[in-house]
Amino acid sequence: MPRAFVRFAVRRTLLAALTVLLVSSAAMALVRLAPGDALSDFEMSLEAAAAERERLGLDAPFLTQYAAWLGRAIRLDFGQSLKYRRPVQDLIGERVGNTVLLGASALLLATLIGLPAGILTGSRRGPLASLARGVSFALLSIPPLVTSFVLLLFAAATGLFPVGGMGALPGGGSIEVARYLALPCLAIALPMAAVIERLQSEAVRDALADPSVRAARARGCSRARLVWRHARRLSLKPVIALYGVLVGTVLSGSFVVEIVMAWPGLGALTYEALVARDLYLVAGCAAAGALCLSAGVLASDLALAVADPRVTEPS
Amino acid sequence: MTPFSPRCDPACRRPENGRAALMVLVVTALSVVALAFWFARRPAGPGILQEITPGGEIVASIRSDPSTYNRYAPGGANAATELLSLLLHARLIRVDRATDELEPMLAEGWTRSDDGLTYTVRLRPGIAFSDGRPFTSADVLFSFRVAYDDGVRSPVRSAVEINGKPIEVSAPDDLTVVLRLPEPYAPGLRLLDNLPILPRHRLEGALGEGRFADAWSPSRPLDEIAGLGPFVLAEHVSGQRLVLTRNPQYFRRDASGVQLPYLDRLTLAVVPDQTAEALRLEAGETDLMYSGEIRPQDYASFQRAAGDGRLRLLDVGVGLDPDFLSFNLRPERARDPRAAWLLRREFRQAVSWAVDRQAIADTVYLGAAVPVSGPITPGNRTWHAPDLPAHPHDPARARALLASLGLEDRDGDGMLDDARGAPVRFSILTQAGHNRERVSTVVQEQLRQIGMAVDVVTMDPRGLFARWNAGDYDAMYFGLQASSTDPWLVPEFWLSSGAFHFWHPKQARPATEWEARIDALMRDHAGEADLDRRRQAFTDVQRLFAEQLPSIYFVAPRVTLATSARVLNPTPAPQIPQLLWSADTLAVSGPRR
Repeated sequence: MPRAFVRFAVRRTLLAALTVLLVSSAAMALVRLAPGDALSDFEMSLEAAAAERERLGLDAPFLTQYAAWLGRAIRLDFGQSLKYRRPVQDLIGERVGNTVLLGASALLLATLIGLPAGILTGSRRGPLASLARGVSFALLSIPPLVTSFVLLLFAAATGLFPVGGMGALPGGGSIEVARYLALPCLAIALPMAAVIERLQSEAVRDALADPSVRAARARGCSRARLVWRHARRLSLKPVIALYGVLVGTVLSGSFVVEIVMAWPGLGALTYEALVARDLYLVAGCAAAGALCLSAGVLASDLALAVADPRVTEPS
Repeated sequence: MTPFSPRCDPACRRPENGRAALMVLVVTALSVVALAFWFARRPAGPGILQEITPGGEIVASIRSDPSTYNRYAPGGANAATELLSLLLHARLIRVDRATDELEPMLAEGWTRSDDGLTYTVRLRPGIAFSDGRPFTSADVLFSFRVAYDDGVRSPVRSAVEINGKPIEVSAPDDLTVVLRLPEPYAPGLRLLDNLPILPRHRLEGALGEGRFADAWSPSRPLDEIAGLGPFVLAEHVSGQRLVLTRNPQYFRRDASGVQLPYLDRLTLAVVPDQTAEALRLEAGETDLMYSGEIRPQDYASFQRAAGDGRLRLLDVGVGLDPDFLSFNLRPERARDPRAAWLLRREFRQAVSWAVDRQAIADTVYLGAAVPVSGPITPGNRTWHAPDLPAHPHDPARARALLASLGLEDRDGDGMLDDARGAPVRFSILTQAGHNRERVSTVVQEQLRQIGMAVDVVTMDPRGLFARWNAGDYDAMYFGLQASSTDPWLVPEFWLSSGAFHFWHPKQARPATEWEARIDALMRDHAGEADLDRRRQAFTDVQRLFAEQLPSIYFVAPRVTLATSARVLNPTPAPQIPQLLWSADTLAVSGPRR
């Protein structure tokens, strides 16, 4: 393996680790800055809350809390959830798989829709291409929150899909999983597919104008061969580069979709932790989210490096 | 030329044409009659007179997972844990939430001494926990011991103390418990509704070892939990559902001798979003909501679903816990430059006169709310005083009161200024994403019309609590859920020394003469056995409250609950959980749609 590629991979991995640390630390700091804490509750007597606050160390200065948490986190002990009284890593472990399933499915679906649609709209004119372009623009302007509610209404009205939730998992069959996964996946995938379509369309248009493609056309290549063999390969690089960003989009989109559609993933857990001012659970969820994002960006960067080794050279 | 052509000569019309027309009319009429007959016979759904067949499952939605299964643990005061406590455990005596009457449960009966200080409670014989171990008076003693344990710091403690003092509990035998109250206490055994009975054999070890707070936490095996309630917790998938199955040892039977609960299974599905929760009920995926109340914006679609026979709507009447606009009257507020008017009773009265309560009921609650003047609504039939001073919408009177405080429009901009020339401006903190936010916005506009500038600041409940606890607010539009309809069971709100005496909590001595009078009325009648005399005293309390207006009440929503049409025998109540409080008598008819 070329040395430049190894150096590039190491640099990116260290950057990913630093991102995880900074994001989780910032999340913890922000929760501390917000008014109230995990025991700010009208349901609890003030004396009991004060005693619990002392027992849990919530009345300590933030830097003391942070140093203690960091010392444990290095040993992969992220503390105990203040709300659920369970180890943070156990709670995250139960939910992160659900988010990965949702996110990966959404990304795959968005790719399967967006890439061919982008090639179509980038290489053709006509009513079909115009329709696809119009649908893309519409989906680009609709946030996942709105898409989620529309799909929920659709499910409630037709009965074709469950209205949120995750069904009988674990142990349920694949068909059951797919039924519950379909709508949350669509809610995230549709806006993302529009992004991919737009980018792919521009990339295909640029590729068709490339001298190599024009030369192939002059040699008598068929239109289909020009688009699917020559232009497609040239247009892939900017789209691959986008996937790192798309992982972030999936995570932020899944946050809202999981809450609205009761999909028990990391986003829903993070929301519960934020509402409960669960300091350690927020930090843990932020770390898990940053890890997923960093892993996605790293994979995208490495794929790009394989496709175009020039990116491994320092600028 | 057709027979009906306008150019047809009348002489051309054949007699058969008239008969054809008549035939068409007859067929049409018969069709209409047949259709009407068919619609009239179409069943609207299973009726409540349908015979109950034990078995089946109900799916109810809840907003979040429980943080612990242990009601006595420090984190046990949240809604999901309280619900589980109702379903897994039983009380000696409970308050029937539909009738507000005491109902013996684990207790067979009780006697009261003449001085009202000693209650002797007889326990039902032959009752066992869900693990088969017999229930005895030792379990009652243990439950009180846990509640009062200083190391546990249980949220149950304050609910079973009288004026901060514990009850002395003893057990002369396995089926008798003697409760000696520290002082005369009018609500009597109503406070036992707050004490779920714990299994001593399961938890005494944890208490002795100082790890009671971690007992029955979600990280522990579910089979460690044993209870006397109608259900047993069989499964908990975090973020998804809790599954409860019937407790075969449950002691209650219906009038026909059939053992309760009727249901085989009760599933609590976790649905964090309220809109999704309503949609799932409409779609038939759930049978009822934990907070069974319909939001005003969902009422139209729920009515349509009820018309189609998919849902049943239950009108419970006026709710018990209205929201309030409470001004910060703590003494440190006297340093605020606006104290000359912001802390004045006349200012609060002016706000009350300026607000159009009917407009709030119509705008925010779409007509499903009633104007109220105080914290005790008409829904609390025992304690509501109907003839309290009211403030119908009268902006002119409001302006006059404000003028008496020196608040006038001094610069002609239509907004009031105080004697210093500073604008009359204050902020209202309220809960984001809740009806309270919408009410605050309506109030803001109505006060603007009489020249007051109001800033509405929205926060989540924990942020609101932090600001309230620190006294860092002008006014707050919020609500508290009382644990009981009996005001003597809510001393934290009514007494000036109370932690939730919202406008000025935990006073060492009453800060005002009217608060001292309320304290005296509540104290002097705390042991009053005559309910009418106690009601008269509390009417006086409410009158004082209405005159001083430390908190201003605008409307109380009418509570309408919704269930799927397959749910039978619901006993709706205005207090949360409005339907699941009597889950042991719920039944179902037919499969889910």
